[in-house]
Parts: sequence; structure tokens; C-alpha cells
Amino acid sequence: MEDAEPELSSTSSDLNSPSVSLSSSPSLSLPSTPSSSCGAPQAVTPPLGVISEGVGELSLMINAEVAQRACQEVLQKVKLQQVEGDVGPDPETPTSHSALTPVVKPLKIRGEDNDPEYPAPGSVKSARRRQRHNPSKQSWLLRLFESKLFDISMAISYLHNSKEPGVQAYIGNRLFSFPHEEVDFYLPQLLNMYIHMDEDVGDAIKPYVVHRCRQSISFSLRCAWLLGAYSSDMHISTQRHSRGTKLRKLILSDELKPAGTRARRDLLALTPFCPITSSSSGPGPIGGDHGLSPSKRTHQRSKSDATVSISLSSNLKRTASNPKVESSQDEDSSSSSDSLEFETGPPVRLTPQREFIKSLMGIGKRLATLPTKEQKTQRLISELSLLNHKLPARVWLPTAAFDHHVVRVPHTQAVVLNSKDKAPYLIYVEVLECENFETSSVPIRIPENRIRSTRSVENLPDCGITAEQRAGSFCMVPNYDNDDEAWSVDDIGDLQVELPEVHTNSCDNISQFSVDSITSLESKEPVFIAAGDIRRRLSEQLAQAPTTFKRDPEDPSAVALKEPWEEKVRRIREGSPYGHLPTWRLLSVIVKCGDDLRQELLAFQVLQQLKSIWEQERVPLWIKPYKILVLSSDSGMIEPVVNAVSLHQVKKQSQLSLLDYFLQEHGAPTTEAFLCAQRSFVQSCAGYSLICYLLQVKDRHNGNILLDADGHIIHIDFGFILSSSPKNLGFETSAFKLTSEFVDVMGGPDGDMFNYYKMLMLQGLIAARKHMDRVLQIVEIMQQGNRHSHARTHTLTHTLSHTPRLHLPFCLCPGSQLPCFHGSSTMRALKERFHMSLTEEQLQLLIDQLVDGSMRSLTTKLYDGFQYLTNGIM
Amino acid sequence: MSQVDKKAGLLRRTSSSKKPLKEKVVLMYDEIFAKEDPAKNNPRFWDELFLMKVNLEYLESKLESVDGEEVQRIQDNINSLFHHCVQALGEEHQIKVVNALQTLCALFRGVHQKNKSASGFDIINMLMGFDKAEQRMKDLMERLDSLLCGDGSESLKSLCLKLLLCLVTVTDNISQNTILEYVMINSIFEAILQILSDVSSRGQHGYDAVVLLALLVNYRKYESVNPYIVKLSIVDDEPTLDGMGMVVHQALTEYNRQYKNKEEENQGGFFSTLTSMVGNMFIADADEKLSVQTNEAILLALYEAVHLNRNFITVLAQSHPEMDIAATPTTPTPTTPTTPLGTTPPSLDMMSNPELPLDPNLQTSNLLIIFLKYASIVMQDTKDEHRLNSARLCLIILTCIAEDQYADAFLHDDNMNFRVNLHRMPMRHRKKTVDKNIPSRPLVCAVLDLMVEFIVTHMMKDFPMDLYLRCVQIIHKLLCYQKKCRIRLHYTWRELWSALINLLKFLLSNETTLLAKHNIFQLALLVVNLFNMFITYGDTFLPTSNSYDELYYEIVRMHQVFDNLYCMVLRVSTNTGQWKEAASKVTHALVNVRAIINHFNPKIESYAAVNHISQLSEEQVLEVVRSNYDTLTLKLQDGLDQFERYSEQPKEAAFFKELVRSISLNVRKNVSLNTLSQDLLLKEFSTIS
Repeated sequence: MEDAEPELSSTSSDLNSPSVSLSSSPSLSLPSTPSSSCGAPQAVTPPLGVISEGVGELSLMINAEVAQRACQEVLQKVKLQQVEGDVGPDPETPTSHSALTPVVKPLKIRGEDNDPEYPAPGSVKSARRRQRHNPSKQSWLLRLFESKLFDISMAISYLHNSKEPGVQAYIGNRLFSFPHEEVDFYLPQLLNMYIHMDEDVGDAIKPYVVHRCRQSISFSLRCAWLLGAYSSDMHISTQRHSRGTKLRKLILSDELKPAGTRARRDLLALTPFCPITSSSSGPGPIGGDHGLSPSKRTHQRSKSDATVSISLSSNLKRTASNPKVESSQDEDSSSSSDSLEFETGPPVRLTPQREFIKSLMGIGKRLATLPTKEQKTQRLISELSLLNHKLPARVWLPTAAFDHHVVRVPHTQAVVLNSKDKAPYLIYVEVLECENFETSSVPIRIPENRIRSTRSVENLPDCGITAEQRAGSFCMVPNYDNDDEAWSVDDIGDLQVELPEVHTNSCDNISQFSVDSITSLESKEPVFIAAGDIRRRLSEQLAQAPTTFKRDPEDPSAVALKEPWEEKVRRIREGSPYGHLPTWRLLSVIVKCGDDLRQELLAFQVLQQLKSIWEQERVPLWIKPYKILVLSSDSGMIEPVVNAVSLHQVKKQSQLSLLDYFLQEHGAPTTEAFLCAQRSFVQSCAGYSLICYLLQVKDRHNGNILLDADGHIIHIDFGFILSSSPKNLGFETSAFKLTSEFVDVMGGPDGDMFNYYKMLMLQGLIAARKHMDRVLQIVEIMQQGNRHSHARTHTLTHTLSHTPRLHLPFCLCPGSQLPCFHGSSTMRALKERFHMSLTEEQLQLLIDQLVDGSMRSLTTKLYDGFQYLTNGIM
Repeated sequence: MSQVDKKAGLLRRTSSSKKPLKEKVVLMYDEIFAKEDPAKNNPRFWDELFLMKVNLEYLESKLESVDGEEVQRIQDNINSLFHHCVQALGEEHQIKVVNALQTLCALFRGVHQKNKSASGFDIINMLMGFDKAEQRMKDLMERLDSLLCGDGSESLKSLCLKLLLCLVTVTDNISQNTILEYVMINSIFEAILQILSDVSSRGQHGYDAVVLLALLVNYRKYESVNPYIVKLSIVDDEPTLDGMGMVVHQALTEYNRQYKNKEEENQGGFFSTLTSMVGNMFIADADEKLSVQTNEAILLALYEAVHLNRNFITVLAQSHPEMDIAATPTTPTPTTPTTPLGTTPPSLDMMSNPELPLDPNLQTSNLLIIFLKYASIVMQDTKDEHRLNSARLCLIILTCIAEDQYADAFLHDDNMNFRVNLHRMPMRHRKKTVDKNIPSRPLVCAVLDLMVEFIVTHMMKDFPMDLYLRCVQIIHKLLCYQKKCRIRLHYTWRELWSALINLLKFLLSNETTLLAKHNIFQLALLVVNLFNMFITYGDTFLPTSNSYDELYYEIVRMHQVFDNLYCMVLRVSTNTGQWKEAASKVTHALVNVRAIINHFNPKIESYAAVNHISQLSEEQVLEVVRSNYDTLTLKLQDGLDQFERYSEQPKEAAFFKELVRSISLNVRKNVSLNTLSQDLLLKEFSTIS
């Protein structure tokens, strides 16, 4: 938007923006505007002009202006003048028509809040308003664009398909008006288009990306990672000069600091010698930029308020950062650099998080060199314990849904996952939820053992008991811990009744007295117990304990994953020094190093899309898309599915058939618990059967299918989808995996549940078919890198003939070389699987065929057998 | 002028080395020991003195040779020398600083050699003069502090630490070293911490720093408030504590490594069957070469850290992958590797080696694992005094660990599994277990293994009663934790049970000889109470219901031992004698064990009779046990899950006093004259100046 906006406004309402800048510049302190010429504007217009300037310089694209002009022309043709008002990202623009003085006000808010939501509703509203004014003159296309129906999915689709630079530019601007989350979903598509399509598309997308990067660190990093990942398959020489690489560099160089922060930092630098400026310019920029009420007109007050707020904010930062960590010399990166942010000012905005990710990846790389699972696990634990020393810091898990700071990695809980040669691992991460991870202060480090009972010399006086008492209690029961010492013997007597509960829960005193021995201490009568009772209690308690998996050094993750999530959270919280904080949360993440997750991301998007389609159509299919974070073409993170273990682990540990396992876990076939679990199983089976069919998900051995505590199955590992299959052995020819064991859980092939399963599949397919475009679009755009972008042709031969590097074999031609796009018919085949031409009756037949085929499929069994032989997966 | 002098001196020395010509510096020393003020004739006397290469032997022997009356006369000159030494420490000229440090060393040592019997006050008077002592020592400590904390030469820092070690160990009994009173007032604790927290300085001086700290903490520990104790107990800076842990870790690792090498060397050519006998001799031989003494200081430091500082416990579990060292910034290897202390510095090469290869065979380990391995070596042979002390200290440290809540938590952490290869004494009646087969288990299993190992291997005439008591108490503390937290450890308890029963058997069969020296009833009571723990609280911590049956099986199987024990204690308790009380306690403790034996034995016999089986299989006995629980009533005993917390004073005070004395002697011996040799230093500084 920033690129386009000034141009547009100059054509239509020339008076508008100049007047804004004119009116604001005297009040907005002259020194700051030139000083921030490289991209830290305070006024409305500077940011826009400035970004394009800076970007232009960096990317060496001279025709940016040309493109802009072109888009402008087309736009003008396509729509009326007023439109550009809503295109503009600034909610201020409409208001600026009315008066000049209030212009400063929204500015301040923006500069200070960086409220990401703000521009969107404003511009949409103004667009509507304008639309109502003169709808007749708009073209049909524009009417569509401005209609309520026009959503992000359509926008992406038009951006991809339209060859009109003007339309592309318009959509580029229109992106600003969509909620961030909606656009974020299509970020891989946007960036892939940016990298692999022609410049018009790139130029249309860039302003939006740059704008969002300025607003958010996490968006910046996501972009940088995706850009890196999607550029990686390009030929090395092309890659170096490609747009994607340049934008990535720009982001990582941290040029795209939010205007607000920059301004604040400038102010910090300026404060000592700027009182003259502020006093001469009335409602000075300082006060304004810091969100102080602009009505405070007195120089003195605004000045002092500003300084107060500055010192406050900087002080807060300083105190928040851990002084100890800062001072320690061993500390190399994250937290200390974070705390230095304010003093030094070099590009450190992104550093802590990048370092954090880097160290996680480093661990993965080192683990891969170790031969056994056991060594890997030990190494992982020790590496993580070192990592802990650098936490808390301004780092976060990108897979989480809320803002937080990572405070601790409970290192002993981490496990290495099953993988033959790579070393993916699962870590749990303790975080503290916060308002905004960019601005909230980083929590202070609490030493590991802070929750322990006290023992050292220095703590004795703090116990709050007199020496007499202590001496007394020492004599009475010499081995009570400090906490107990505080209780007199009477207290213990009183507490007796409640003790059993306390007893089991509290683990904080070392020499906790037993109920029994106290009783006997008090009443000198001998107490008798039956040996049978002890033995019985022992077996009862053992039986009571929830079914756990046995520890297996070769499969360390099984135990960790089997433990119910709630239970784990409680346990880790108890053992954590941060556990008492109300904002404490536990997250988990799988770190993958050496694996390409781009296909997983694509699958996630498709799954997510289908899920929302089914939700929208009210089809009770159940699927669980898990979040994927692509960090590069060979690393990333995955959000683990909690409370789920793989079918392989289930079978290996329980040695039961799936149905028997269901009976063991959920109860008899007629109980509600079992029926619930069965329904969950059927709904998820139907969902995943459809997905496996539509996406042609292969490599469906039991290690890749999870079973959660509610009975849902969840397919993981979408490494082989669409056109690729493992080793091309020709196994798994069936549409999806449906073993007789699955059918048994559903109550057999004649049961109601099985019919329900088939009915669900039919409903799901019909619903998916209805919104087929939303699914296809995701896949198609990601195919972009495979085809060369210049002519945007979809035939490979054509591309090859146009490519100057003819010596490259086909598979090395620039673009993302996802194996799922192998061959030329991927998209066509995918489209065909939606069977647009069939009637519902025909579809039903098709489903029946698919199900029958899968059930009877020999290859499924063969494949499982093959996996058992080669990888030991049951 | 001094330049010329120096040159002349050098020339003379090299050209006519054979003639016993006196060095210039020696002449100057002579001047100091004359009555007159040496600076009287030569105003630049002191300046020149510190430019000379120090002749430590001469200076020290001169100081020693001074007799009573002379002392009075030359006291002023010595005071003056001390004063100028301290002043020279502030010089920019590094050679002067070096020489001053060495001269101070010689002064401290010489004066103490001379006045072994003299009171500390006399020594202070002789060195500094009473009136000025406070100021002089303050200056000295401040200078040392700034030298240690500054970014000057590493060799200089090392020399500073040596001077301090020298000062701390001049007396046999550290608490009689009155000069240390000034070291208490002018603390160098912070400087020590700084050395430990910094990676590169830790590598070079960590060992000396830790030893120094351990010694300082023990200065008049029980009599006065020692600021080092207080300060050490409140340190909570993780890098510093970690650094300290690393130093200990390295020292113990190095010892373990050397031991292993020696063992392999000695056992190389033999068949394993032969080694069990012959190897024993060889190992004993090899051990002598590997002095345990040097590690006593480090062990003491570990003890003080564990005992005093509750934050240090976390360091024990802190895993040190090899890369921890590798991750440290590449420190330039010191140009002058002056071997610190000569006390076989723990693998200096390893510490300064910036890049260690990622060895896939190298197990990740932590301080506790290394310590357990070390303890397993040390405990093998407790005949010699030093080894006995080391073993005792190891057990004391383990006692502290077993009492600590956090330590227990990670000992029992099911997610932290390790293979700990403990060293086992080769014995005739058992095969040396194959190391590789040790499963990966929670660390507490290794601790229990170590205890079982000790119990099994030390039933000898010269019975280490004290160690046995500690050993059984450690097991008890661990069991209490498990009971309290309901941790069901998958451990083969059977091994422990049979080891304990064998111990009782040994006590019984050697009753008369042992009773002459020890109160065996105390130990017997502890052992029986361990069984009582299992019997009455087994439901809270045993891993399977079968294990409870096995406990009964084991007791019934070995009923003879318990019967004999009961007879013995009953006999002793009915007689009047010093053991009456102790023995009667054991009789009471045995009530449940006897109830079990009396309950099940007839049942088993009748089962055998009914089924006409002469020898019942284990499974059959277990079956009888299982089916007859309900008719058995047990008596609940008091305080089974309570224990006396460890406290150093007054019980252990004497031990630590002796230990510190032996460490002092050893350290003093090792801060020998030649380790203070300055050739290397001079080489380093000649280029600087």
C-alpha cells in the first residue's frame, strides 16, 4: 500500500496529502523527519514514500515506479477516483478531509499503539460508504471486489490468475483491509507468488508484506523463514539475486523497524538537546508520539510528561531484563542482547528469537550424529539444560496462539522421537502469557531450585520461629524439616485427620512424617496392621494408576506421549519455579531438523481449509490440522498433537488389537465412554479417509497414524502426497487406509456406525466439492515455483523452452521442488478427484467403491508388513 | 643504573657459572638481614631489589637461620621488606610484581618455618609490625584482589593464587594461622567467584581457586563466624556455581580417567579368570601411583558447596555434554603453562582445548555421575588412611545429597536415565560384570548400587563401622523420600535385601572381635529397620506387588540369620553390660521379621508335607506367601521413616579438622619452590617490558 498510496492521492486529491504533511511538519518537529529519511516516518505520508524509496534502493528495481504508474492507470480505468481513499491504509485519510488539526491525533495513536486492527475496519467502512455513493459507474469486476462476498480466498485467487497489473495492484492494496489472521493463512501463497511470479505480482504484494513486517516481529520472521524456504530450490545464481532473497535480507537486516519504535528511539537520543524544539512547536512531537493527551498544550507539561514516560519505559525495560544475566560474561546472546536493545540500538529486534531457533536447530543437528536413542535423549536433556540458562528471554514459540515469553524448557521432559536417521525431538516449553511479546517486559529469571525448602545458614533467621521453639522441636522430632519445625506438636495432632490428602499431594518436606508413625507416637498403645492389607493396598494402588506405557529406551517418546496432557501440565507446573505464576502455560513443539516441512505446511493448509469448509457446511467430520512452522527448506517446527500416541505404539505396548485397546481404555461396548470414543473414531476416520483420498496421502503405516485419548485417529506426516509416494514401490494403491481392525472398532462392516462412516464421507465429499476452488487454489499457487513464472504458463515444455538455463535438467529448474508436484498432471488429477461431473448418487457409489476397495486392499496389509520388516513398525 | 646492574649481573652469572659467586640479589638479601636500613646508603635499594630475580631458597633459608635475638634487630628491615613488597604489587612493571609476589611467598614461609612454635601474633609482628599489620594486610589483599580481577597476565593471576595458597597453608592447622584473620576481614571471596564464573580464567585457575576457597571456608569454622562460609552459602549466581561444579567435575573426571587407564594397563595381558586374583595386587599397586590425596581438596570443596549452598545442588544434575567446553569462546592457550600448584592440575589440556570432537561414544554425564564413579573407585580400598578419609567424605557428601529435596527429585526423575559404570572390585567369587550391559536408569539406582557394592565388599576384619553406618543411613534416607513421594522405583531390591542379610550374618559371625571395637547393635538396628520400612510401608514405594512377596520370600529363606540375630541380641540384652540398651532395641525392632518367619515357616513346611515335595521351588514358596497374608498381623513401629539430619557439628568436626590438616600439608608440599619458578614468567614479561 505504501508504494501506491502517495501516487494515488496525488492524482486524485492532490491537496490532501501535501496539506497533511505541510500542516503536520511544523508541529511534528522538523529534525525528526529528515533524520528518519531511511524509513522511520512519523507523519502520514513519509512512511509510504519512504518505504518504497528504501525498498527500491535495496532491491534495485527501477521499474517500481513504472509499475506503480501502470497500476494506477489501470486502476483509474477500472474504478472511480474515490476508491483510492479506501485503498489507502490510513484511516486518517478520510478524516483529514475535514480538518487539519485533528490529523495529528490519530497519527499519535498509530505511532504509539501500532494497532494492527485499526486501519482495516476504517478503510473497509469508508469503502462501503463510497461504494454506496456511486455504484453504477463501477465495472462488474470492481463490484465484485467491493462486494461483501469478496474474501481473502478470492483475492488470492485473482492475484494469482489475473494478468492485469492494475487488478493485481488493487488486490495488493486490498490486502490491507482483510483481518490479519485471514491473510496470514495465505502467507505461504503470497510469498511464493512474490518469489516466483512476475514483478507486477511481486510489487503488488510487497507493500503489504513490508507494512506487516514493520508492525510485527513474528510476522517479519515468518516471512523471512518462508522466503528462505521457498527460494531455496532456485538455482544458486538466480537465488542470490531473486526478489525473495532480497526481501528476506531486508527483513533480517531489521531495516523494517516499526515506525513507532524508531521514533521512540530517536526521541531518546534527542531528548537531551530537544527542549527547544518542543517548546517552540506547541504540542510537541514528543508528547504526541508517546500517546500523551494532545490536549496538553503547555510546553512545560508536555515536555516533562514526555521525559517521564521515556524514562519510565526505558527503566521498565532495564529492570525487566535480568541484571544478573546481563552481567554474566558467559552469556552470549539472547537475553542479554535483548536487554541491551535500548542502549545500543543496532538491529536486535529479531536477534533473540533467531538465536533461540538457531540453538534448537543446532541441537537437532548434533543429535543426529549420535547413534542410539538413549544417547540422543541424554544429550538432548543436557543441551536443553544449557539452553535454560539463557531463558527467560524475548523469545516465543511461533506455533502458539497467544503472545508469550518463553521462560523455561523443562529439559528432563524432552524426548527424541522415532526416526531412523534424523533426530526430530519433542520439547515442552514453559511460557508466561503476556499482552504483547514485543512490548511486555521479559520475566525475571527464577533460579531452578527456588521452590525448595530452605536449608542454608542465611535462611535460618527467617523461619519465624524462636530459637527456643526450634530447639524444642529439634528435641522432640529431630528430623523435621524447617516447615514442620514451625508446627508445634499440637498442630500436628490437629492436622492428623486431614493428613491423608495432604500426604499424597505435598512433596515438599523431605522427612515428612507418616500419619501412622505419629499416631503411634502419641498413643503408646501398640498399633497392629494386617500384612494382607499392605499387600492389598499395594496391588490396588498399582492397579489404580492410569495405564502407562512401559519405558523403552528405543522408543522414549511413547511414555511421554501417553501421559495425559493435563497430568503432564500439572506435574511440570509443580516442578517449575515459574509454576506459581498465574500466566504460566505449557506448550510443546516438535523440532525437526533435516526435514522439509513445506509439504507439511501445504497439507496443513489444505486440511485447515477442508476443516473450515466442513464446519461451514455442518458436516461432523473431525480432523486435526496441526500447525507447521517452516524455518527453511530443511528445518521447521511442528505443533504436536497432545494426548495422542501412534497406532504402532499402541499395538506394541498393549499387545492388543485396536478394538480390545478401545475396550481397555474406554470400557465395555455399551458404555457411554466407549460409544463416544467410537463416534469420535468414525468421524475422524471418515475425515482422514477423504483427505487421504483427495491428497493421495501415502506412507500410511501405523507409525504415522495417531490415536488420541478421545478415540480420534489423526494422520501425521504428509511427506508423500499428491504425486509422490515412498520409493515408488507401488504399494498402497488403495484410496486410503482402512484395515479390518478399523472396521472392527466401527462395529463391523454391517454395523450402523460403518454406514454412518460412509455417509459422513459422502457428505464431506459433497461439501468439499462445493468449495473445491478454495482447496485447489492453495495447492495450485504452491505449484508456482515448479513452473517458471515469466509467462505464467502451465505447460512445462513451454517453460523449458523459455528458460535460458537449458542445461539444467527438468527437476532443477527454478522454483520450489516439492516432490508432491512431480509430474505434470498433479493439479488435473487433484481436480478430478473432486468428481465435479458426478451426481450425488454416483458419488455415493464412488464412496462405496472406495471403501470396499480399501477394505479389501491387499496392498495395505502388504505395506504394513513391509514397514514391519524394514522399520519394525507394527 | 639498574639496567646496567642487571646486565652486569647476567653477564657475570653466565660467564663464570662455576664459581660460587654471589648473585647481586643475594647480596641485597644480606643487606636486609644486616642491622642497618638498606635504603640508607642506596635510596633506590627497594626499586632495584624487585628487578632482581628472586632467590627463594636463599631468602627462606636466611629467614630460617635467624635466631631469637637477631629477630629483634632485623625486624624493622623485614617489616620494610614486606611493606615494599606490598607496594611493588601496585607497580606497573610486571617483573616487579612477579618478584614481589615471590618474595612475599618466601617471607611467609620462611617466617613460619622459623617460628613453628611461636604464636601467630609474634609472626605478624615480625612480618609487618603490630601497629601497621592491619593496614599492610589490607593493602596486600586489595592489591591481590585487583590483580586477580583485573585483565592482567594469566600467569600473574596464577602466581597470586599461589601466594594465597601459600599463605593459607603455612601452618599445619589452618585455624592457628592468625594472619588469616586479615584475610577474613579483607575478603577475596568475590575475586575467587569471578575466576570461577569466567570460562577462560576458570580453565586456568579454577582448580587453585576452588582449593583456596575450600581451605578458607575451613578457617576457624566452628569457633567464629567465617565470612567465607556465609558468603558461600548465599551464592546463587548460576554461571559461578556451574563454574565451580565444572572444576570439580574436571578434577574427578581426570582421576577416573587415569584410574581406568592404569587398570587397563595392568589387566591387559591376563585372562579374566586370572585377573580376579592377580589383578587385585596390581590394582593396589596402581592405586598407589594415583594419589588420592590430591583429590581430597577438591572433594572437600565439593562437600562445602553441597553442604553450605542449597543452589549448588542443581549444579550436580547439570549435564555437561562435551560441547559445554567446546562452546566456550576459544581462549588463547596460555603462552606460559605454569603448572598450577603442581597438584596434578585436572587436565589442563582438556580444559583449554577449545574444540573437543563430538564423540558418539562419549556419554553425556553430570557432576553427580562423575562423583559416583569416583566414589566407587575410592571406596574399593579403604585400608590406607587417605583412602578411608576420601571414602568417608564421599559418603558424607552422599548423605547431604540424599537429604536434599531437589537432589532427590532429580535422582528419582524417571526421565533422566543414565548408564553409570561403577567400578567394582574384582573378587574371587564373582565375575566381573560386563560394563556394557548396565541399563539406563534413574540416577538413584546407581547410588543404591554403589551402596550395595560397598556393603558386599567391605566385610573384613578391620571393619569400617563408620562407613557402614553412613551407607545404611543413605539408603534409609532414599527410602524415606520414596515413601513420602510414593515413587515406585524399578530397582532390583532383592540385591539390597540379600546384601543387608549378609551384613547381618557377618556381624553375627564376628561378634566378639567386632564388639571389642564397635557398637554393632547400632548398625544391626539400622539394617533391621530398613527391613521394617519395606515390610510396613512397602505398599507406598515398591514397584510391583510381586516385589512384596519376594521380600517375604527372602526373609523366610534367610530366617536362620534373623533367628541367630534375635538369639544374640536377646542374650546381650538380658545380660547387664554396656550393650544392654542397644541390644534390646534390636530385639524390639525384630518383632515383625520374627512374626513373618514364625507365620510362614510352618505354612511352608506343611505345604511341602501335604504336597510331598522335599525342596520347594521359589514359585511355590511365593504361592504359599501370597495365600497366607491375611492371617498375619504386624506391629507398627515408631519413627521408621524418620531420620536424623546430617549436621557437621559436633559429630564430624574432628574428622574435618584432620582432613583439612592433611590437605594443608599436601597443598603446601605442592606449592613448591620450583612451581614458583619464574623463568617462564620472565620470558613472558621480558617482551612486555
